[in-house]
Amino acid sequence: MGSQADESKTLNTLRELLLKSEKEQILRIENRLDDPMVRAKEISQSLPEAISLSILDSKKLSCVIQPVIDDAIKVSVQKNPKALADALFPVFGPGIRKAISSTIMGMIQSLNQMLNHSFSIQGMKWRFEAFRTRKQFAEVILLHTLIYKVEQIFFIHGKSGIVLDHVVAKDAIIQDPDLVSGMLTAIQDFVKDSFDIDGDLDTLRIGSDKSVWIEKGEHALIAAVIRGTPPLNLRIKYRELMEEIHIKSGAALEKFNGDSHPFLIFREQLEEGLQFQEKQEDQKISPLLFCVFLVIFCGVGIWGFSTYKTTQVWQQYLNRIEAQKGLILLSAQKKEGKYRVTGLRDPLAKDPLGLLQKDTIDPLSIESRWQAFYSLDPYFIFQRAKLILKPPGTIQLELSGNTIIAQGQASHTWIENFRRIAPTIPGINGVKDEKIQNIDMAQLDIALKELTAIRIYFKKNSTVLVENQEHILDILYKSINRIRKLQSRVERSVQIIILGHTDSSGNEKLNLRLSRGRAEKIFSILIVQGIKPAFFSISGIGTKSPLKKESHTEDRQFNRAVSFKIFYGHSKEAANL
Amino acid sequence: MIKKKVCMLGAFAAGKTSLVQRYVNSIFSDKYHTTVGVKIEKTQVKIGDALIDLILWDLHGEDDFQHVRLSYLKGSSGCIYVVDGTRGATLITALNLKEVVEKTMGKLPFILVINKSDLKDQWEIDPLILDELHDQGTIVIEASAKTGTKVEQTFQLLTKKMMEE
Repeated sequence: MGSQADESKTLNTLRELLLKSEKEQILRIENRLDDPMVRAKEISQSLPEAISLSILDSKKLSCVIQPVIDDAIKVSVQKNPKALADALFPVFGPGIRKAISSTIMGMIQSLNQMLNHSFSIQGMKWRFEAFRTRKQFAEVILLHTLIYKVEQIFFIHGKSGIVLDHVVAKDAIIQDPDLVSGMLTAIQDFVKDSFDIDGDLDTLRIGSDKSVWIEKGEHALIAAVIRGTPPLNLRIKYRELMEEIHIKSGAALEKFNGDSHPFLIFREQLEEGLQFQEKQEDQKISPLLFCVFLVIFCGVGIWGFSTYKTTQVWQQYLNRIEAQKGLILLSAQKKEGKYRVTGLRDPLAKDPLGLLQKDTIDPLSIESRWQAFYSLDPYFIFQRAKLILKPPGTIQLELSGNTIIAQGQASHTWIENFRRIAPTIPGINGVKDEKIQNIDMAQLDIALKELTAIRIYFKKNSTVLVENQEHILDILYKSINRIRKLQSRVERSVQIIILGHTDSSGNEKLNLRLSRGRAEKIFSILIVQGIKPAFFSISGIGTKSPLKKESHTEDRQFNRAVSFKIFYGHSKEAANL
Repeated sequence: MIKKKVCMLGAFAAGKTSLVQRYVNSIFSDKYHTTVGVKIEKTQVKIGDALIDLILWDLHGEDDFQHVRLSYLKGSSGCIYVVDGTRGATLITALNLKEVVEKTMGKLPFILVINKSDLKDQWEIDPLILDELHDQGTIVIEASAKTGTKVEQTFQLLTKKMMEE
């Protein structure tokens, strides 16, 4: 037992020796953990670092302590509102002053615009729009005049003028932002120093169109380059952004050492600040474009009108063709700028090209194919008949149904032709020729009558012709020649009988011989004149059928003669004579 | 991207503008100098893998009539003082300027550039003074606007010093 106690003592001593310092440490730790004052002191030392670490890490802490702060502020206000008002006064004071001055500036701006536009034509239009949309006139003016575009925004470190971030609108032309920002800062300082101004430079105006809005915070500023007239609430927006930047990164801005990286977190808000409003209505068409449109419009109009006109002219032409007798239109189309027409055409019909009105369609642009045909229209039948039959002026033709009627006088040849050809003419199937008088036949009859009236006288008891009968012989030759011609024309063979006569004195036998001798005498005279012998027959009839009754001796001379008789064809009578 | 504001100061016609002209971008004309009193330029320096933009505020030369606007110094991370080696007085101006700057801004990394190293035979500055300045820890660089000697090194050195701060 004693040894056990000794052992335990030794072990304690050993423990004491080995773990003395650790034991003291444990005691101290226990003290720290048990004593709330010590713990509070420790936490108070590490709290600021813990909070800044937490802020860097996430927004969790902000969310957690927000209700506590809200409550604390409420309690504070309830307890003593003056304390908070006093604390906030330096913050709100300048802000409120600035807001009021901006509002007044805005009012002046809109009043200015209102006055400018009140009496112009534009103004009238806007007045009407205000009336129509039931908006205030000033509101309408602002709507139309607040045309602006924020071209770029610089986020600048206040002291150094170094650009922390820079955003640019599409299509904006920019210079090196670092240099611009530096110079902008320098100019602000310059203005402030030169004119000993207490406040800050908040707007730079360049010309009437461009301005730079500077929204300054404690450690940084935003400079927005704006074209046009921006609305006032845009400045409020920038101010809010500036406040947000300072709340979130105020400390970092204060300690800025040239690294702009941590400030890129505001890029999105800065880009949101790149606002613009475009003029909506007044998009005027450029004069050149207008001219181009006008030319195109006129061109299309002229082309359309001329096409319509041409089509109309063409249609009228086709109508005329269709109305024309002897023309049958089968097809008409326009292809590759050329007209193509096909159809049937009676040779006697009018030329289709002749139906074109002057100066409308170029005949060369028409390609036509007309096939010949015989129209059975009475007009064409009649015209065709006239053309083929060629009637002499003494003949009148007439068409009755399909029968052709001819009347008047015509040569034998024409009549023959008429009878033969007329029935073969297309459209004619009947011929009436009863009323045609054969001129040749009539003339032959006259000539024959003349011939039979001719007497050639002889001396008593002789075959010698009584003197001074040459003119009668002339008449005889001519008459016979006419008869020869006419009889061949009328295709009738005519036989002329030369009849020799004697007076009643003397012997009958001698008289017959004498009379034959007289006939032969005339025959020989006619042969000598070149008349064919076959044309004649000779007969001496003595005192048979005397030419005159011999009442006196003087009458005998009338029977000492030769007369002529006619036979058609070689008649028996002629042969007998 | 790290950006640092650097002020260039020096007596009138010490050659600040011509010294850096070949190495910087600028969109502003020289008339800003005489009107606003500053001209902003920009150059890029590479330290290791990092690219650093130096925004150079080229301040109008200090002389009897024109003083540097102190407000332009705000937010600077470093300074370059330019001295015309052939005009001894410009060194005094530069040192005075340094004093003013330090009064306004506190201590800032800086480099003292003695320009016109190409005309060293005409220098009015006692090399002993420069040695003394060097011993005090001032970085003194002898550069030339004409030949471009050591201008880039000046930017490099200053940037390194600024980054160490």
